[in-house]
Amino acid sequence: MPPLRAAWLFILGVMIWVTPGLKAQETAGAGDALFAKQCASCHGKQGEGTKRHGKPLGGERSLAQLTKLIQETMPEGQPGSLSPEEAQAVAAHVFDRFYSPTAQERNAPARVSVVRLTVPQFRNAVADIIAGFRGHPGWSSERGLKGDYFKSRNYRKEDLVVERVDPVVDFDWGTEPPVQGIDAKQFAVRHRGSIRPPVTGEYQFIVRTEHATRLFVNDTKNPVIDAWVKSGADSEYSGTVFLVGGRIYPIRLEMSKAKQGVDDSNKKEQKAKPAAPAMLHLEWIPPKGFRQVVPELCLATNGSPEQLVLSTPFPPDDRSLGWERGSTISKAWYQAVVQATVEASAWVRERADELAGTKPDAADRKAKLRQFGKHFAERAWRRPLEAAEEKFLLDTVFASQSEPDAGIQRLVLATLQSPAFLYQCVGNNEGPRAVAERLAWTLWDSIPDMELSKAAAENRLSTPEQVRKQAERMVADPRGQAKLMGFFRHWLRLDQATELSKNAKRFPGFDPALADSLRQSLELQVREVVLGPKPDFRRLLTGDQVLVDERMAAFYGADLPTPPGFHPAILPPEGRAGILTHPFMMANLAYNEETSPIHRGVFIAKSLLGVAMRPPEAVAPLAADLHPSLSTRERVILQTQPVACSTCHSIVNPLGFALEGFDAVGKPRTTDRDKPVLTAGEYLARDGRSVRFSGPGELGAFLAGSPEAHDAFIQHLFHHLAQQPERAFGRGMPDDLRAHFQSNQFDIRKLAAEIATRTANPPRQVAAQPNPETRNPR
Amino acid sequence: MTANHPLFTRRDLLARLGVSAAALPFVTNLPGMARALNPVAANARKRRMVVIFTPNGVVPKDFWPDTEGPLEKLKACLEPLTPFKDQLLTLHGVCDKVRGDGDAHMRGMGCLLTGVELFPGNIQGGSDTPAGWAKGHSIDQEIRNHLQKDQATRTRFGSLEFGVMVPERADTWTRMVYTGGNKPVAPVDNPYQMFKKLYGQAKDRAAVASVLDGVAGDLKTLTGKLGTEDRRLLQEHADMVREMEREIREQAKDEGRKAGHPVPQLEPGVRADNDQMPKLSRMQMDLLVAGMVADFARVFSFQYTNSVGMARMRWLGVTEGHHELSHEPDSNTAAMDKLVKINNWFAGEIAYLLKRLRETPEPGGQGSLLDNTLLVWTNELGKGSSHTLDDIPFVLMGGGLDFKMGRALKYKKVPHNRLLMALAHGFGDEVKSFGNPNFCKDGPLTGLRG
Repeated sequence: MPPLRAAWLFILGVMIWVTPGLKAQETAGAGDALFAKQCASCHGKQGEGTKRHGKPLGGERSLAQLTKLIQETMPEGQPGSLSPEEAQAVAAHVFDRFYSPTAQERNAPARVSVVRLTVPQFRNAVADIIAGFRGHPGWSSERGLKGDYFKSRNYRKEDLVVERVDPVVDFDWGTEPPVQGIDAKQFAVRHRGSIRPPVTGEYQFIVRTEHATRLFVNDTKNPVIDAWVKSGADSEYSGTVFLVGGRIYPIRLEMSKAKQGVDDSNKKEQKAKPAAPAMLHLEWIPPKGFRQVVPELCLATNGSPEQLVLSTPFPPDDRSLGWERGSTISKAWYQAVVQATVEASAWVRERADELAGTKPDAADRKAKLRQFGKHFAERAWRRPLEAAEEKFLLDTVFASQSEPDAGIQRLVLATLQSPAFLYQCVGNNEGPRAVAERLAWTLWDSIPDMELSKAAAENRLSTPEQVRKQAERMVADPRGQAKLMGFFRHWLRLDQATELSKNAKRFPGFDPALADSLRQSLELQVREVVLGPKPDFRRLLTGDQVLVDERMAAFYGADLPTPPGFHPAILPPEGRAGILTHPFMMANLAYNEETSPIHRGVFIAKSLLGVAMRPPEAVAPLAADLHPSLSTRERVILQTQPVACSTCHSIVNPLGFALEGFDAVGKPRTTDRDKPVLTAGEYLARDGRSVRFSGPGELGAFLAGSPEAHDAFIQHLFHHLAQQPERAFGRGMPDDLRAHFQSNQFDIRKLAAEIATRTANPPRQVAAQPNPETRNPR
Repeated sequence: MTANHPLFTRRDLLARLGVSAAALPFVTNLPGMARALNPVAANARKRRMVVIFTPNGVVPKDFWPDTEGPLEKLKACLEPLTPFKDQLLTLHGVCDKVRGDGDAHMRGMGCLLTGVELFPGNIQGGSDTPAGWAKGHSIDQEIRNHLQKDQATRTRFGSLEFGVMVPERADTWTRMVYTGGNKPVAPVDNPYQMFKKLYGQAKDRAAVASVLDGVAGDLKTLTGKLGTEDRRLLQEHADMVREMEREIREQAKDEGRKAGHPVPQLEPGVRADNDQMPKLSRMQMDLLVAGMVADFARVFSFQYTNSVGMARMRWLGVTEGHHELSHEPDSNTAAMDKLVKINNWFAGEIAYLLKRLRETPEPGGQGSLLDNTLLVWTNELGKGSSHTLDDIPFVLMGGGLDFKMGRALKYKKVPHNRLLMALAHGFGDEVKSFGNPNFCKDGPLTGLRG
């Protein structure tokens, strides 16, 4: 099959209908009227059923199946009386309004459900219980690692010659000394600091050097790579370590150009010999990622304590509503929990003395460990223990073992397997502690830290101002940054597993390395806006600057940046739309060779403007190679001409067309198949106004100022943070948040803090049907 | 690797298990259990090997029997082995002829079980050129791989590497077992860590089982406080807890039925320090015997300290370090007496192991564990003061390979590669050469079966 046809077949998956009724784009008026006239008398106005026909409308049939069913069986007494068009219109109305699972989910009364911890929350919470004893790591503003250069073979303080910051470890010294004042024949180098991996998974670290080397990641005692014994001609070593994304770990890289063991070096002999060459490169292959020098962005010069990382694999959380939530229990999840708690308990046991501040032969060791156990449980459960709980955990579980270490291990198991740990805010759903806990899940995907717990204990979380103050602090914390960046990664589809690749003949030079640069550039650019001094939402969608490194500069035609690394540059054409026209977005929302106005339009409609959509039924596409003379724009118009398509594609296509000035790799173009590219587009806004724009600059400006886009952004962010339906927090929430956003210069960080503040005290849940067995006798 | 305290790190453990924690399903049937159900395999005789290493050479005149043939009265270094004289075979004249980079202690250790040169590297000894790791795998791993290939001889671990007071540093002096070139294996010198390796899964399951009831109770209490929609989630959770309880119970029954051996009890809190060496030695030996009974492995190594080992055997009244004593000339009779005492102590430890093996019946088989096990006691040097790699002390013990025991054999400077080959052949692994092929031309060492 020629690639072009394959591409067109793929388009099946993205042709879309707009779900009517939610937004201004009402498309099923005919179906609505027909339903009211012919169906509602039996099925009820909202398909809820009537006395005569009690069963509410709802089921698993597809739209096509439902159409057939209605055509053949409805209305009662006169089946077959509807024309095919009428049957289709009624079916579409029923399907979208109340029949489909999506519609049912939408129509169910929104409520704040009891949820278990999501997988990231579980991992973070366990790590942060420990961090509570060892201290939470910081993230210095200085990127890179501290590099210490020694003139001896080991790290003797008096032999330290140069101490500097190396943004990356990527050196070919050859036979030269690495720094002035060191003999090229014998020296040692040590890099240290912290590393923050972007995503969760297995990281393969690679060190390239001809000399002795050791790499420590997180575990400061046992190296990931140990080639301190130099043996044979190998000059590349690798080791794998599982890391949780967004967290901060200590890292130390040692390299020694010297003999180890007995130092019998003959000074005269040594002088006569030429120096052997030396290099030192620290690289990694992130999960599903590309081999590269460990980037500056992920390194900081400050030290940090070892983290408890649970490497037990978990099944993914439910994401059916577009955001992660802990709404399901499966056997795979439960087994993973058990395995992970075993892993955690063994880890704690091994370090129990250090964590409890005692020593193996201390007289008060048992008392100290007991005290530690109590603190551990209180942190894990986010509240003080009740007397009965304390008695159970300490007098039964801890004391059941003759060895206090074994007792701690059991206590950790019991604590972490308890619903008090595994569920959000159960047995803790009112008052300042519940507020603290909700803030922490919302902004950190983790448990409250000491400061937050203290604020709760001192009753400093009772007014919205007090809560907001904490929330703003938390957004700025590395954990808050990690959760925010997680949102943008998802929103901009940076986290998609699919590989970004292009036809090598058509786009020579677009290789995995460049694709990775694009990813990093976009992430950095978002980071600069979101975490920088001016976190204005509108800046995301406007502006001509792109962060460009050497690879991107060479490919897209910009001046080579000096020094190497990412620097802002202006890429043609003029009038770009910020991250929307970033080369990553343009390339990612395109095919192997051709652009895809539909992909681009769907992204804008769905992710930026919040138009609710669902995948279409299969429609046979036109074969692209049958229309070689058509431009992409013309092909898409021809393709989506049928009435069934056009109602929806009339929204999507013109949005995507505005970006036709970028080809499938995000380079500017003025012609497509020898025809001039037209970038005119339009959008029918919620208020009924028809907005026209030509080119990306105008499109970006419209989006940045559109209340629809603001609402959509707020709603996406809300769901990512709170992981509960926005509607469950009251009808006024969207308007309140929009007003807040607008009056705060569209400050993204303030918005996140505001969402956390407003969800920290959710409406009280009333038990619908109290369980008679356990009802409190009064 | 010696920790400062009896605890150990997760990565150590996992590295030695050769798996990540993630790869271990929590409730599982252990590999090797299938064999118990295989009647043919169950009836076949098990063969095992234990390589025991002690460092710094010996005092030859107080070690080697004077004459070839049936063993007469054992000399001072071997004297504690007297009750097992009929189970002993001493091999004089077997030499480590591997040369190349590295000093004698390094080559003595790194080439001892591999029979192959060391890679050039950065580890500098007292003389000679620096070197790295050995270029090939060791004979115990060769035999392990051979046994693991066959379902009938496959065991959960294949091999277990024990240590006693091995220093916490990885270099050519501290490693004798290699899974391949540049791939040394660290012996586990912490008995608690070895215990965890052998019995950890079962212990973890027991610990989990002990907390499940409380968890189920908490879920029930909590469920009562919730509305109908939220209750479903916790009820599903509670069902999972009950299911896990059942599965653990069944697994424990299953394992009890198949294994049927008691888990050894270790004295708690024994620290890894020099003066505890006698205690650590016995704890490790008890674990080794338990590992044999449970059939966790068929190949074992047991490494006391390291090449250039520095143990100070104060419990014998010897205050100097072993290595420094071993450099003393023969004329220093006080030093020689101490070296004899040290070697005598090692022999006493080995006698303890032999005793345990002899008094333990072969599970499901004939005779004792000792009847089906060959022990190979060896050393990185022939003699400490000369650093010679000639006449490496090789003392074979036990009936595992049907060698004719109760004898002293004398060879004329044969390369030790031939002995390594003979060990493999004894297990039916008919290697054409092992290590450097130049030393293997005359085939496996002859004369062992009489």
